[in-house]
Amino acid sequence: MPFGEKRRSVLVLAGLTVFHILLISVQMPQGAGKSYFERAVFFLFSPVQRVATGAVRGVGSLWNGYFDLRGVRRENQELKKKNFFLTQDVRFLEDRLRFAESESRLRENLAAFEGSIIAARVIGVDSVNPHQSIVIDKGRLDGVDRDMAVCDRNGALVGRTIAPVGLKEAMVQLVTDKDSSVSVESVVDKLTGSMTGRSTGVCDLRYVLASVDGGREGEELRTTGFDKIYPAGIPVGTIKSLERDEASPIFRRIVVTPYFRFDAIDAVAVLTKGPGGGR
Amino acid sequence: MRDSAARDLLQAFLGTIVAVLVYSIAGAGAPVLLIVLNAFSVVVLYFSIRRGEVFGAVLGTMCGLAQDAFSLGVFGVAGLTKTLLGFWTGYISRRIDVAPVTRNALFMLVMAFLETALWVLITAAVRLKAVNLHGGLILLQPVVTAALGGALFALERWARARRSRGA
Repeated sequence: MPFGEKRRSVLVLAGLTVFHILLISVQMPQGAGKSYFERAVFFLFSPVQRVATGAVRGVGSLWNGYFDLRGVRRENQELKKKNFFLTQDVRFLEDRLRFAESESRLRENLAAFEGSIIAARVIGVDSVNPHQSIVIDKGRLDGVDRDMAVCDRNGALVGRTIAPVGLKEAMVQLVTDKDSSVSVESVVDKLTGSMTGRSTGVCDLRYVLASVDGGREGEELRTTGFDKIYPAGIPVGTIKSLERDEASPIFRRIVVTPYFRFDAIDAVAVLTKGPGGGR
Repeated sequence: MRDSAARDLLQAFLGTIVAVLVYSIAGAGAPVLLIVLNAFSVVVLYFSIRRGEVFGAVLGTMCGLAQDAFSLGVFGVAGLTKTLLGFWTGYISRRIDVAPVTRNALFMLVMAFLETALWVLITAAVRLKAVNLHGGLILLQPVVTAALGGALFALERWARARRSRGA
């Protein structure tokens, strides 16, 4: 390699390395904030992701459509039968709910969510760790902004929208991310704490004092709304295990299994009217 | 000179789009696959060996920043590691013969492993926290990267041989 060319290579490497080190250093005081440069890169490449995911979904649904048609009649009969029993269950549960809560309160809760749900499709997952974030196909043009709660098709909490929010795409921080924090309460024993992720399939329920009794495996956790981001009452997950924390004798060690599953979050709902919505 | 630099930049950008496409398709198919499959590394390795260190460094920067933009990690860490990966892969591949299939795959395995190790070290240093290694599953990432990169070169060689037989 001629000397001039070698010098050019070294200069390019040195320049790019310094650029990256500066880029990393600049972010340190910002914490979780996103720089304009990072947002620009996200805006540039997220449409590519949307196209790729759309193509995969298109091929997949075509393939599934063919095979699904073959067993559709039998499935239809089964679904009709199931639907009958589910309708009965819903009526029964509605009666129970009315008994537990006054009807006006029930209407109030339902009205809070009316017209405030945006359906979105998941077009990408975190490039480093799928348990940290996802990208959805709705952005500012659809009314999505930062700090809006995101639920799966069953109404279980998935996470919240964070920067960058593009015109037609937005990033969602999952409840399983290690930097995520959700204020939750167990439905039976009313254990209150902060649920944080581990960037794996499970989460931790933190800051529950060791002196506090109660809580059992399988008990459901719901959001409290204290964090001013997630509306109260959204189911989050169930307690997987409870034990004494050897490392910290003040608090209990509680492991939580979140409800949402990767194989069921192809479609999600963004709640725009929650406490954190429209910031 | 300026024309060729602009062309290189455009090609690197197209290479990055290819990486984003592969990553998106893999993510749409099975999100957990992304723990062991780093499409950005495969693209950087493949083109760095073909095009040399300068192109490798520029492509590494673009691919790394794209990877960072789609992750909640510190923006620039993958950019830095992939720049170094692209540069050194291109540089070393010009000095040793990496044409034979086995040597090619082994070379990519070593480079991909070094990149992963560097990424883990920098992430741990920047965030001052232990990096989630997914129970060691992340160690499979260099193996999958090297296997895919090696398969790409083998495919290219097979296609070239077929074309020359046809001619």
